[in-house]
Amino acid sequence: MKKLKLSNLYLWVVFILLYVPIIYLVMYSFSKGDTMTNFQGFTMAHYQELFADTRMIQIVIDTLLLALLSSLIATAIGTLGALAINRTTKPLMKNTVLSLNNILMVSPDVIIGASFLIFFTALKIPLGFGSVLLAHIAFSIPIVVLMVLPKLQEMRQSMLDAARDLGSSNAQILSRVILPFITPGIFSGFFMAFTYSLDDFAVTFFVTGNGFSTLAVEVYARARQGISLEINALSGVMFIFALLLVVGYYFIQEGQAKRKAHSKKGGHALEKTH
Amino acid sequence: MKKLISLTVAVLLVVMGLAVWSAELQKSQGATGDNTLNLYNWGDYIDPALITKFEKETGYHVNYETFDSNEAMYTKIQQGGTSYDLAAPSEYMVEKMHKAHMLLPLDHSKLKYLNTFNPDVMNRSFDPGNKYSLPYFWGTLGIIYNDKFVKPGEIQHWDDLWKPQFKDNIMLVDSARDIMGFSLVSLGKSMNTTDAPTLQAAKAKLDSLAPNVKAVVADEIKMYMAENEAAVAVDWSGEAADMMAENSHLHYIVPSEGSNLWFDNLVIPKTAKHFKAIYAFLNFINEPKNAAQNAEYVGYTTPSAKAQALLPKSVREDKQFYPNEAIIKRSEVYKDLDPSVVGMYNDLFLEFKMHRN
Repeated sequence: MKKLKLSNLYLWVVFILLYVPIIYLVMYSFSKGDTMTNFQGFTMAHYQELFADTRMIQIVIDTLLLALLSSLIATAIGTLGALAINRTTKPLMKNTVLSLNNILMVSPDVIIGASFLIFFTALKIPLGFGSVLLAHIAFSIPIVVLMVLPKLQEMRQSMLDAARDLGSSNAQILSRVILPFITPGIFSGFFMAFTYSLDDFAVTFFVTGNGFSTLAVEVYARARQGISLEINALSGVMFIFALLLVVGYYFIQEGQAKRKAHSKKGGHALEKTH
Repeated sequence: MKKLISLTVAVLLVVMGLAVWSAELQKSQGATGDNTLNLYNWGDYIDPALITKFEKETGYHVNYETFDSNEAMYTKIQQGGTSYDLAAPSEYMVEKMHKAHMLLPLDHSKLKYLNTFNPDVMNRSFDPGNKYSLPYFWGTLGIIYNDKFVKPGEIQHWDDLWKPQFKDNIMLVDSARDIMGFSLVSLGKSMNTTDAPTLQAAKAKLDSLAPNVKAVVADEIKMYMAENEAAVAVDWSGEAADMMAENSHLHYIVPSEGSNLWFDNLVIPKTAKHFKAIYAFLNFINEPKNAAQNAEYVGYTTPSAKAQALLPKSVREDKQFYPNEAIIKRSEVYKDLDPSVVGMYNDLFLEFKMHRN
């Protein structure tokens, strides 16, 4: 019993450490003052300022657009890559490709960003939305591969053999057996890529230009002149938005789990092909 | 499979929606078409009400983009792919951009308010005859002190900073030329010194200031001074005005032996396209009434003599922000130095900063 309490305490301390700064930040978005030094009464003025700031709204939209589009394309390419890696039979080849994939995961963003900048300027690709999109797709692909590959390895060969015995063509095996089986991996790959793209500062900072800016880069640029509480207000909105996404995701999963349990009771072990 | 397809379709729909929204916003900001003016300026360096007024009066739309250092602006314009119509470099950068053939000459016949400028700030060494630039704001480098810790009159000269009573109580702005510069002035040398032994001597003198230096910081200096964190700071007059607006105990002085005079100027970079809008804006912003309004908002010193006359008496007669001719005469404008000399300034300043630790 005592042990349980201690671990609970630990959990609470960690949660408090993680969340207090965020709450502190959001709290000051309601302060009447202009700095985060002392709270000076409640106001919604910073939120009004935020929603009247069309440049900021534009940047938020562009950032979301970029994150969604880049993670979608990266998911498609990454899934195909994982399929190819899984099919490779030569261990040397497989390990080499996997290691190359992992190197991209662990190499610092600054280096990736700088090399993209050199690459784009050498090819005379104008910096802007296009260059940022390409860079984001590129650094998201390894993440997707890493999320999809374990699912593929989990899949039993006998399932594919069974499908072939029943007369499926290769295309049918892919669309009716493999893809449904690895769907959870693809989904988590997509969401990981999405958050990475949304988060990214270093790579974007290098390859952006011509007026295109993402949230992280813009906040950095503004912070150099002293952070306005408008940024706090934006953080508040983004925090609520993320919270809603997580809650929504939880309910979707809950619903799926219920359906799954239901169909299993009905005895359909292979319900995944619907 | 169904799930994957529906996710893809959903994401694509959202992406399309966002793209349309983004394009609409861009249109509502008037980013397309010929009736725009792309203004490339320092952050928060114009009264937004004036931009609205200009747009209403003339029908031009203003794209206000910001930079945070002269060098960043220089690179952005030099790299190409941008279409800025007006930029606001500091004086040494005007010289550098002119040398790099990045500026278009001003057509003086189209400028209505050329004769309203303060003659002291026109025709300076970085742009003789103001062929390429018009001053936008100007000011000095000086000392800010807090009268809670320092008696008025205790600080009059650069040398006063070395007094032992300010131990660990001075903040310096993180700028190589300015800090090396006041050390040079305190030695009776020019702020544009290029010979190595003199610079070494200035650095050695700075090292002896180290015990008094609490921190070498950038923009945060404003916040610290406003919160009584240090007694004394060395910073530009514009920054000083911001601090003094926050804390009435702060005062700004320009040492009488001389200081640096800085100018931020409006120039037409070679990327400019909308020339009618450019001259409409130059005439608008230099109209004395508007220039005065802008100066009140930004808090810097306006170069327009007529605008100065429109400012409240307490402001326009403030000797520290509108210095008299004698101080202006003794002060120097930074020259665009050879890169090797700039490197020397930077290295010595870095050594000083490391020496402190």
